[in-house]
Amino acid sequence: MMTKQVRYEALVKALHGDLYRYAYWLCHEKQVAEDLVQETFLRAWRALDSLKDEKAAKSWLITILRRENARRFERKRFDMSEYEESTITDTQSASHEQTMESHWLRDKIAQLPNEYSEPLVLQVLGGFSGEEIAVMLDLNKNTVMTRLFRARNQLKDILESEPAKRGLYNG
Amino acid sequence: MDDLQFRRAIYSDPKSQDEELLAAMDKAPNRQKIAHDMSLLDEKIKQALQVPVPDDLCNKLILRQTLATHQQHKRKKRLHLAMAASVAILGALFINYLQFNSAYNNLGDYSLAHVYHEAEHFADNGANANSRLISLASLNSKMATFNGNFTDVLGKLIFADYCRFGGMKSLHLVYQGKTSPVNVFIVPKDDQMTFIDKFSDQHLFGESAAFNQANVIVVGDKSESLNQWQDKLSKNINWTI
Repeated sequence: MMTKQVRYEALVKALHGDLYRYAYWLCHEKQVAEDLVQETFLRAWRALDSLKDEKAAKSWLITILRRENARRFERKRFDMSEYEESTITDTQSASHEQTMESHWLRDKIAQLPNEYSEPLVLQVLGGFSGEEIAVMLDLNKNTVMTRLFRARNQLKDILESEPAKRGLYNG
Repeated sequence: MDDLQFRRAIYSDPKSQDEELLAAMDKAPNRQKIAHDMSLLDEKIKQALQVPVPDDLCNKLILRQTLATHQQHKRKKRLHLAMAASVAILGALFINYLQFNSAYNNLGDYSLAHVYHEAEHFADNGANANSRLISLASLNSKMATFNGNFTDVLGKLIFADYCRFGGMKSLHLVYQGKTSPVNVFIVPKDDQMTFIDKFSDQHLFGESAAFNQANVIVVGDKSESLNQWQDKLSKNINWTI
């Protein structure tokens, strides 16, 4: 019993950050992301005995989270409306050039179609390889690589086309 | 690897350590620049993706799990209690069943078993019981329970007392017989045991007679004439109702 508790707490401490960020990029809402993570870990606790390989824990949790997210759409169909730009709340005060740039880029990533942003998040934040992402998203590897290419290509284009508009403006 | 292939590869995985890709990168400086730009972009993307995680999320997750586990424990405890209670009830029912459900299902078998069980008390056939013979008055005071009374004691009555007959209060009379005692049972009518008018084993045999109020069962050894006993009894007992 105690060892299960210890395993669980270790899992939470090690992976809740990554999982929360992943959830955030799936649903773009802080509160929903938090709920998703909570549901995911609660399910993970119940099924913790089935997790044999600790190395696979992250992809296991992400798989649970994706399923939870899908369930959310089954439950509330009215939530399915496309995410709108205006709903991103800018809660961070951007006092620094770099954080401002990050913020701006964050908005741009949020505007990417989910099918592009999801593998990107998994690759950059999760550190998963193309094969691993392909397994998690149930796609073939070439599709994943193409989407990653397109995601970066779009971001690069956006960055290059709008460099003058961001930055500090005083009046 | 041509330029397009190179771009596709480096865009889809800037951190790739693929040998072909690395080799292709070494060939042309402009490719190195592309790779460098891409890894810069990737660093920016990484910065941008690092949305702040709520500080208390970790604690919340552990708390919620602890609460859920606690609930589960409580539910389990309740379940265990319920199971223990069920076992206790079943046990009680079983004991009840053993106590009140006789192993014999007809009057004859039970009578024989009862006689054998108490046989040693009457083994002397009442030879020394002359001073302790039961009087008609005391017999009738007991018989009153069964709404009947004897007009005569009918021979030497060695013993007369209530006893449990298959869980029912009944009257057990023991008379002095020719060679061995004769047992008479007055048993209230009951559905549990089937009535059987004649029964026997190697040593004893018996006869039952059904009256409105009760069954009268006589058990004696083979030398007794039970017919006569039954006859005498039926003539001597007056049922009040």
